[in-house]
Amino acid sequence: MTKIVCVHSFRGGTGKSNLSANLATALALSGRKVAVIDTDLASPGVHVLFQFTPAPDDATLNDHLQGSAPIESCCHDVTPAAVRAKAGQVFLVPASMQSDRIARLLREGYEVERLNDALFQLGEHRHLDVIIVDTHPGINEETLLTTAISDCLVMVMRPDSQDYLGTAVALEVAQRLDVPNALLVVNKLPRHFDGQQVRDRVEQSYGIPLGAVLPLSDELLDLASGDLALLTVPDHPWSQGVISLAQKLIDGIL
Amino acid sequence: MASFDGAQLPRQPLSMGLLLSLEPPELRRLLKSGLRLGLAPPELEQLLCQDWGLEAGSPEADTLLAALAERDWFRWNPQAERWKTHLG
Repeated sequence: MTKIVCVHSFRGGTGKSNLSANLATALALSGRKVAVIDTDLASPGVHVLFQFTPAPDDATLNDHLQGSAPIESCCHDVTPAAVRAKAGQVFLVPASMQSDRIARLLREGYEVERLNDALFQLGEHRHLDVIIVDTHPGINEETLLTTAISDCLVMVMRPDSQDYLGTAVALEVAQRLDVPNALLVVNKLPRHFDGQQVRDRVEQSYGIPLGAVLPLSDELLDLASGDLALLTVPDHPWSQGVISLAQKLIDGIL
Repeated sequence: MASFDGAQLPRQPLSMGLLLSLEPPELRRLLKSGLRLGLAPPELEQLLCQDWGLEAGSPEADTLLAALAERDWFRWNPQAERWKTHLG
């Protein structure tokens, strides 16, 4: 059965979408079929990493949640050539970038149960190994649902006091929802920070396994989210950290 | 058996926020298990037995399921032939 990995953060700006796209690519490089679902409907962005721009007639997640489009029609093949060469596939279910569609979604909302059913329909229809859910930051109905139905929650945070507090809240919620597996990722670690100290603090604070500590890097900033670091700078410590995180998921839940 | 008083449950439609606030934990687990693909009858029976100490078809199990069905929170889906949690 398709495994659901929810990539979440309590606050924005943690690099969640970047991680989601690269993690999907790392898993697909191992020959797996992976889909990324952009449930950050208020501020979508993960499509940029795959250099995919929905054409006006391309269906998006909004068309399924607020319309009658089958979820399969909202799923687009964005497999990079390097992934295809390894027999993997990456699909993307983007959210609409049209301002009127975003406004409509915020105004009218949608039945979150449709999102639950959509994930499992898609998994079955495309024979997916993994669905990575890129969430909206914080806690709302959608993020509670995607957290609850995930096989693994990947919680992303920066080494920042507000993130430390917020992440504790999100993990408490995950605990109440009996999430079976959780991994913590510290992203954007400044170069002058002591990585080991951060690891110790995080492990002592939360009591869940540390998935990765990923550095803040000028090279990644230069990419400006316009490409996949994993394919552009595969030997970079950030990319290597994502590969190691993917391996933990493979070992743990796949 | 987990303590459960159906009369104490709110009567509003189920949301994820409400699910999160429900007690006891066994009730959250039951409703959470009805998400995803839902529960096939043997899976529900197993969950009732392991988590609640209840035998399927017993008066206590029927009371629990009736309280949830009355609120339209947890219901039998004839197409999928599974028990599913209903949000909204």
